Amino acid sequence: MGKHHLGEFEEIVMLTVAILQDEAYGFGIIEEMENRLKRSVSIGALQTVLKRLEKKGYLKSALGEATAVRGGKRKRFYHLTSAGKEMLQDTKEQRMGLWNAVPEFILKFS
Amino acid sequence: MHKKIPKYPLRFFRWFCNPDYAEDIEGDLLERFYKKYQHKKHSSWWLMRDVILLFRPGIIKVTQTTQKLNYSAMIKNSFKVAWRSMQKQKLFTTIKIGGFAIGIAACILISLFIIDEISYDKHYKGADQIFRIANEDSSHGTSSRWTLLGAPIRNILYEQYPEFEKVARVILWDGWQAGSNQFRTVGSKQNIYEKGFIYADPELLDILEIPMIYGESSYALTEPNSIVLSRRKAEKHFPNENPVGKQIVLNDHQRLYTVGGVMDLPSNTHLQCDFILTLEGIEFWRGEQTDWCCKNYEYYVKLNPGIDKEALEDKLLYLNEAHIVPYLEASGSVDAAHFKESRKYYLQPIENIYLNVDSVEDMASVHGIEDVVWILGVVAVFILSLACINFINLSTAKSAQRAKEVGLRKVVGSQRTHLIFQYLIESLLYSFFAVILGILISIVFLPFFNDVAGKSLSFPWEKLWFIPGVLTITLIVGIVAGIYPAVYMTAFKPIEVLKGKISQGARNSRFRSTLVVFQFTISLVLVIGAVIVSQQMYFILNKELGYNSHQVITIEATRTMGPQQKVFKEELLKVASVENVTISSYIPIPGTEQNNQDYWKEGRTKLDPGVECRHWQVDQDYMETLEIKLTKGRQLQEEIASDTSAIVINETMASLLRLEEPIGSKIYGSSKLWHVVGVVEDFHFGAMSEPIGPLGMVLSRWGGSMVITKVSTENMKETLSQITSIWDAFMPHQAIRYSFLDDRFSKTWTNETLGRIQTIFSAFAGLAIIIACLGLFALSAFTMEQRNKEISIRKVLGASFASLFGIITLDFVKLLLISFVVAIPIGWYTMDSFLIDFAYRIEIRWTVFALTGLGFLVIVLSTVSKHAIALAAKNPAETLKDE
Repeated sequence: MGKHHLGEFEEIVMLTVAILQDEAYGFGIIEEMENRLKRSVSIGALQTVLKRLEKKGYLKSALGEATAVRGGKRKRFYHLTSAGKEMLQDTKEQRMGLWNAVPEFILKFS
Repeated sequence: MHKKIPKYPLRFFRWFCNPDYAEDIEGDLLERFYKKYQHKKHSSWWLMRDVILLFRPGIIKVTQTTQKLNYSAMIKNSFKVAWRSMQKQKLFTTIKIGGFAIGIAACILISLFIIDEISYDKHYKGADQIFRIANEDSSHGTSSRWTLLGAPIRNILYEQYPEFEKVARVILWDGWQAGSNQFRTVGSKQNIYEKGFIYADPELLDILEIPMIYGESSYALTEPNSIVLSRRKAEKHFPNENPVGKQIVLNDHQRLYTVGGVMDLPSNTHLQCDFILTLEGIEFWRGEQTDWCCKNYEYYVKLNPGIDKEALEDKLLYLNEAHIVPYLEASGSVDAAHFKESRKYYLQPIENIYLNVDSVEDMASVHGIEDVVWILGVVAVFILSLACINFINLSTAKSAQRAKEVGLRKVVGSQRTHLIFQYLIESLLYSFFAVILGILISIVFLPFFNDVAGKSLSFPWEKLWFIPGVLTITLIVGIVAGIYPAVYMTAFKPIEVLKGKISQGARNSRFRSTLVVFQFTISLVLVIGAVIVSQQMYFILNKELGYNSHQVITIEATRTMGPQQKVFKEELLKVASVENVTISSYIPIPGTEQNNQDYWKEGRTKLDPGVECRHWQVDQDYMETLEIKLTKGRQLQEEIASDTSAIVINETMASLLRLEEPIGSKIYGSSKLWHVVGVVEDFHFGAMSEPIGPLGMVLSRWGGSMVITKVSTENMKETLSQITSIWDAFMPHQAIRYSFLDDRFSKTWTNETLGRIQTIFSAFAGLAIIIACLGLFALSAFTMEQRNKEISIRKVLGASFASLFGIITLDFVKLLLISFVVAIPIGWYTMDSFLIDFAYRIEIRWTVFALTGLGFLVIVLSTVSKHAIALAAKNPAETLKDE
């Protein structure tokens, strides 16, 4: 592939899915993101991105079991696909490449 | 512990969400809701917010599976198919677009006219403060309003009514120097005839916010004897210079007028004039300005801001109490009591004046006619609907040919909405071409239309609304005309269509027939209207007027001759072909100079209300020249000394004054006692819409403004040149101006309402016939095509040509018959209510309807026959060989 680039929010979502491993479902992802990044995320924004990533083939999803706290609704769990993992890896390498190219003194506080 | 979940956000969410995702996202929503609830956050509010933020593409369910179709390619294809089908049937396409274009052209012209008519007097900054004062009389159960008021009111308004900011009186009727004059600049000897003089108080320019080119509106008329010129006249008489301060002579009179300014009157205001003479310092007779006797002025006023109109109208009643009623009582008039009871004042908003929506009789020369605006609007809608009907009819008739296309499109998965969309695009394409063609047509016909309507309209290309407006019309017309055929055609069931089951578009013939009947009814009503209006017009123009107007020449503006008039008259009588000559200011033509006076039978001035009658000053040859018939007594005679107080009255006057033995009786009027020496037969001198009024004729002491000459000649040209050479000898500095009495009479009518309505009716009735026939022509072509085989079989079985022709045309004749039955009552009713306004009117006769119907029958048959004959004469072998 290589043609696609992950947007910032897409990248965060994918990373969160990776962190949560088997527990990555909608609200779980939001909570994780809110905890870690102190960033308020609406369900709408997240779901749109999840659907988009799924369409691109970076994520795949499956419905889980129903729980009482959700009014009997099942959760949809997301997993990274191998294409997704690759993409994350690529993204990371690109970033590292950029980081490494930055002269060290620039980022030092004087 | 569980809080109740807000129902509506969730219901909304379930409604819009893609069902694939609905379950898990709803779970997320609920989980978040409970979490927020536990933390005592505004959980419901959060839920709402989340639901709203979920309402976005990607989550919303996709309603159609065609989401990913390439729309632009579809639209391109729609255009292509539309274009091809247009080309395939050239006749139909031409008729569809042509009929449409004619309708739209008519609509455009009429809209321009209506827009112009309603734009009058809308431009004032102080529009809600500018009024005209009108009298209102509400006796006899009806209320009437008119404008003329007495001179002294102006000062009273200024002194006692703080509500009025400015008051201006205007004299609009022809008299004194108002109306027309011989005009020359000081230093020039050549008199030039000019019209459009009015008198006005200096404030008029400010009240009506008249823009000035030279001079200042506040001062232009403040000096006595000042005059303001229109831009047009200033350019004519003072080319390329500022005329302010220049002096002018009117009618060779010694008084000099000084130009105080040049105004630029907008064309869309009711008060049109070329010269304003100031009323400052003017007294038409001694004491005139304080005399309550006479009502010669129109009042334009500007109120201070925020004045309550109704309250002020009531307050104006004080004028009656304090001034007019005491005056009437002092003069002993019986009108005083009536006046006190029923006279009021009405403040007419300036924007109402032009179309005269509150029926105020006035002297203004420029009026739109509200009725004409209405009639035209209705006609425009009718014509456009005729054009739309053509379109609908032809589209549905031809639908069978497109049925297979629709069927196939459906089979390959096209949805009905898309098909409707496609056909709408097609009709939009038609209406687009039609609008372009329509604009071209209307551009071509605009000069003609301007002529008829008496306007100078132009296309407002520069206006911001114009092009979007035209596009909107295109869109609306396209959709209105296209929606029915689109819905109708796309309703075909693919299986039946592809099997060839749908009988060739005949399925909906009843609907089409109704539309055709509607078309013909409209056309018939318009034609009946046109015929009846023309009949009425003919009736009036040829009515026995009671005097002779043929070969009567009126030589105008002879006042400048002064005492020479009589000598001129003698000279004219020496011309062989001149029969009679008379000098007077009055002719029996509506809209010319008039003078009204109240008359009483002797000794009854304090007992009866006065009879308001026309008061004409004539000379002794007047009756003979115009061949007015004397029924009793004798004519006025200058040799008889006592005839300075003699009067000749008409029969109406004699009966209104209740003179049993008119000859020798005495009547009082115009501050004088007259003795009646003759009675003439009633003859028409006023508008035909009113009955003949009372008239009195007395000898003139000062001649008149016209020398009226009756000639009897085969060679009018020579007579005229003889008259002209006599004139030139008398008046070398003033060109002769003459007209023929009968011309002037017919002109007042052709320029009047009736003449306009006649032309308009005839033109649009013609248009309606053309459009209806276009539709019929195409429709018949189609029907013939359908009945091809039927007719051929009949022919094989031995039907004659004539009977075949009958069978084919019978359907159309039936439709015409139905329309005829519908049109008769409509036409009769509308035209009868139109004619009710005329005191002298024709009766509507059945022959009008019969002839119109017959005419239509001929038109229908000849329209249809081209196809019918071709079909009836066709060799049946050709049509039937396939079977």
